[in-house]
Amino acid sequence: MSVQTKTPLRFGAIAPSALALLASILGFSFALSSALDYTQHLDRQVHDIHCSFVPGLGADASQEGACRAAMYSPYSALFKDQYWGGIPIALFAVGAFGFFAAFSLYLLLAGDKAPRRAHQFLFLAGLTPLAVSALMFVISVTKLGSFCKTCVGMYVASALLAIAGIAALIHDLRRARAALAVFRAPAAPPAPARTIAVTPAAAALEAGGTAVAPTLPEGEVPAVETPKDPEPAFEPPRTGGFLLIPVWLLALAIFSVVPSALYISAMPTYATYVTGCGKLEKLTEPNNALLRITPAGARQQATLLVDPLCPTCKAFHQRLVAENIFDKLDTTLVLFPLDNECNWMLDRALHPGACVVSKAVLCGDRKALDVLEWAYDRQEALLAAAKDKDRGVAEVRGMIREKWPGLDACIDSKETKLRLERTLRYVVSNQLPVSTPQLFLDGVRLCDEDSDIGLSYTLSKLAPDLKRSR
Amino acid sequence: MKAAGLVGSAVGCAILAASAITVHGQVRSAADRLRTGATAEKPKVAVANDAEASYCTPAFKEVLTRVIHACGLVGGESRRGCQPADVKTLASINDEDFNALFHPLKSRGAVILFDDGAEKLDDQARQIIEEKWLERRGARYFFVVARASKTGGADFNRALSHKRANSVLFLISDKFKASNPDIDKEAGLLWLGSEYAQLGKEYCEWNLSRPGKCTPEAINRSAFISWVDCQL
Repeated sequence: MSVQTKTPLRFGAIAPSALALLASILGFSFALSSALDYTQHLDRQVHDIHCSFVPGLGADASQEGACRAAMYSPYSALFKDQYWGGIPIALFAVGAFGFFAAFSLYLLLAGDKAPRRAHQFLFLAGLTPLAVSALMFVISVTKLGSFCKTCVGMYVASALLAIAGIAALIHDLRRARAALAVFRAPAAPPAPARTIAVTPAAAALEAGGTAVAPTLPEGEVPAVETPKDPEPAFEPPRTGGFLLIPVWLLALAIFSVVPSALYISAMPTYATYVTGCGKLEKLTEPNNALLRITPAGARQQATLLVDPLCPTCKAFHQRLVAENIFDKLDTTLVLFPLDNECNWMLDRALHPGACVVSKAVLCGDRKALDVLEWAYDRQEALLAAAKDKDRGVAEVRGMIREKWPGLDACIDSKETKLRLERTLRYVVSNQLPVSTPQLFLDGVRLCDEDSDIGLSYTLSKLAPDLKRSR
Repeated sequence: MKAAGLVGSAVGCAILAASAITVHGQVRSAADRLRTGATAEKPKVAVANDAEASYCTPAFKEVLTRVIHACGLVGGESRRGCQPADVKTLASINDEDFNALFHPLKSRGAVILFDDGAEKLDDQARQIIEEKWLERRGARYFFVVARASKTGGADFNRALSHKRANSVLFLISDKFKASNPDIDKEAGLLWLGSEYAQLGKEYCEWNLSRPGKCTPEAINRSAFISWVDCQL
């Protein structure tokens, strides 16, 4: 049994596959670019990263901030405790989009000859990248507060793939309906006719006659209608076996996992590197000049050097909080403003205004952490205000006064000045680098190289109890 | 259909192999860079240190270095302070040049004045010593340069000068030893007696513990105190 197909059905077979192929190539490109950026950092150095709506295109420093924030976030990789930097999620996406690219190509080439299961699979499996993207989108909004362009590229690719999957399913349902209609139809209607020249015998046959008509001379043949050229016959869609979907799912899983497995197999050993960045000679300061922050759940001694107006300190603090680490630290806070107004180790202010803000944190006493976090929140505004050479410090003082009116006298006191100097001398007595932030766990320094994507792994090595209790 | 399946499978395998090999290669490359240290040279980060003011000229630092080594501030020797003869030898410069070394400390330090033939600190002296001690900032060493006027014999003046230097040190120790256990390694004493580096009347314009009561004699019944912002 066959019926004539309709053009929309044929187009419907190609369009979803073509869209899926395009989406897969796009997603694959973004994912590979992101994964390779991540991989570069396995040498514990900071490298430029690609951050653009064009896959693989570089970005200037102002643009790459969001991509770097995403990369350094705890959500960028899996198994971060077990492996330095973990396994980047983008690597799974590389395999998955690679699979979808190949599968879409197969669908595109097979057209309507592909089994129905293939379209159903594209619909079902095509939703998974979208689900992951939706999750990452929510994380970007709620946790990171920014969108990295490479990530957005993957979101778009995932959405297109999902759309292609839906279109494939719609096409599949239409084919099924068409097949059902054919199945239920009593008989195929006669094909529309067209006029051609026929022989008299043929004309007689057409008219239902039985006699053989006389032969006519050439050119005198009467015209009758004959059927049009037959259009491709409609073949009822092949469903395909039940095992197809599990087999494809297995293939998808293999594609997703293989790059990650090779990634892990090639990773170097980091254990010797993470403990080689020095120790704190003196854990305490004889005058109790250092602040102590001990949350209820604190179980790990830590010494943290920060400058309240240092953007890296802010990011590091946010990372510790986001990873639920900060609340488990019994923190000795060492304020180390990189501002030559009070810090003699600098010939110019890297973060003007940091001295007065540090004094405010010291004066915060039990609310020191609140003052510090306020300074982090308002960091850009404080730094902008402090830029004015003449009125900068006064502007910063004004902002502090507005938020923390009770600290004024303390900030101006000799005792606070002396306390800050003693804090700075503590840094000198330990011969620490003039840089912030610095974290020491039981006196062992966390290497700068391990404070971003390698943080979880390093913490699991330097403070295993801390990680186990999470 | 079969051809489509074959093409799809082949392309899929090619994509998988290419991406896996690329990733694997990149990881190995990063591992090599990590092992060999073949990465971009790290910017050198300064190590936290004592202050280094502009007045820390080579000549000034040379004298001070000799003094802190010879007078027990470095190395844990039991000797405390330098006698006049030592200083003269160590400094290897004449009186005026020696005094000139301290000119940049005019605003940083203070001159503690004593009564004639006495080493007792008055209230103003105590106050100013405490204030100056607390104005340490980034300085590593606190110097006490005690003198005696030419009144009296040389031996008496040496002993008196020594006592005056000790008066300052004892006060600092009493007040701040608990909070600063390293005072012995930070405070350097020089007692010059009356035979070396006497101060002229122009030093009466410095920050005195008894302002307005300065004479050429009185300015040498004194102890000059100051933190020194030099990395020695």
